[in-house]
Amino acid sequence: MHGSTRPDHRALAEAVRRAVLEAPAATTPTLRQAVAERTAGGPPTEPPYDELARQIGDAAYRTTDAQVATVRTALGTEKAAFEVILAAAVGAGLLRWRLAMQALAEANDAPS
Amino acid sequence: MRLPEVERGSSLGNRLLIRFISTVMRMRLPDAARVAFYHKDFGRPIGAWTHAAMRGSSTWTIGERELMAAMVAKWNSCEFCVGAHSAVAAKQLARPTIDQTLADYRAAPITNGLRATLGFLEKMTSHPADLSAEDARTVLRAGVTSESLTDAIAVASAFNIVTRYADALDFAIPSPSEFDRAGDMLLKWGYRS
Repeated sequence: MHGSTRPDHRALAEAVRRAVLEAPAATTPTLRQAVAERTAGGPPTEPPYDELARQIGDAAYRTTDAQVATVRTALGTEKAAFEVILAAAVGAGLLRWRLAMQALAEANDAPS
Repeated sequence: MRLPEVERGSSLGNRLLIRFISTVMRMRLPDAARVAFYHKDFGRPIGAWTHAAMRGSSTWTIGERELMAAMVAKWNSCEFCVGAHSAVAAKQLARPTIDQTLADYRAAPITNGLRATLGFLEKMTSHPADLSAEDARTVLRAGVTSESLTDAIAVASAFNIVTRYADALDFAIPSPSEFDRAGDMLLKWGYRS
């Protein structure tokens, strides 16, 4: 598709961050931000969320039924567990967005 | 699917919609679509960014972007997303090209620009902290513009999100013919929820 207007990826990335990490939802923004920071290389968060967040950040394909079930039990609803899983995934994705765009900006600032 | 409510739908309307689409498609509605129907206000911006990256204006063709998504899925070991996005890519590119790229993109019959971009996306996916300006310069020297590299980075960012929740939720793996049918839907409708 070659339309005339390119997507504003910075704005779209920011909208993802706001919706998943800041907006009112079943879980607190504090929990979602802690989980996202963990998958972006930040410090451990509280159990049982830390283990699931670390797993989703490092090797999501190795996530276990027990890791998800423990978080679901702790939060009380599937909707809340769903939010934590998406927040963890978004933390890892937005970290990569930031670092890649930083590398590109530095290349444009100092082309060799 | 590790969260049954996501699989069956959170409301009567969602459950009827899932059943209707499954009937029309003559297959179980893939879990990616079930996630898109669940808690829509929360996750909608992920679908919006993914749709813009995959179907919005770009110098990359839809087939090339679907191939990038499949490669990110491969590097993240996400079986569902490799199958889903290589199936869509195969509707735009030759299947042997896709298979060779998945096996070894450095030796595959693709453009030098796409090859260099995949090198950048691989490092971004697997070792993001090691990315440097020189990695970006390598892509630019291959003739890829900054805008095109930005578009590719957006694709890879979106799929570093999607692959993770797909595996954390343990998406069921459709058969090859089901991936092919779902690919027709993704090509036609894209990724908006």
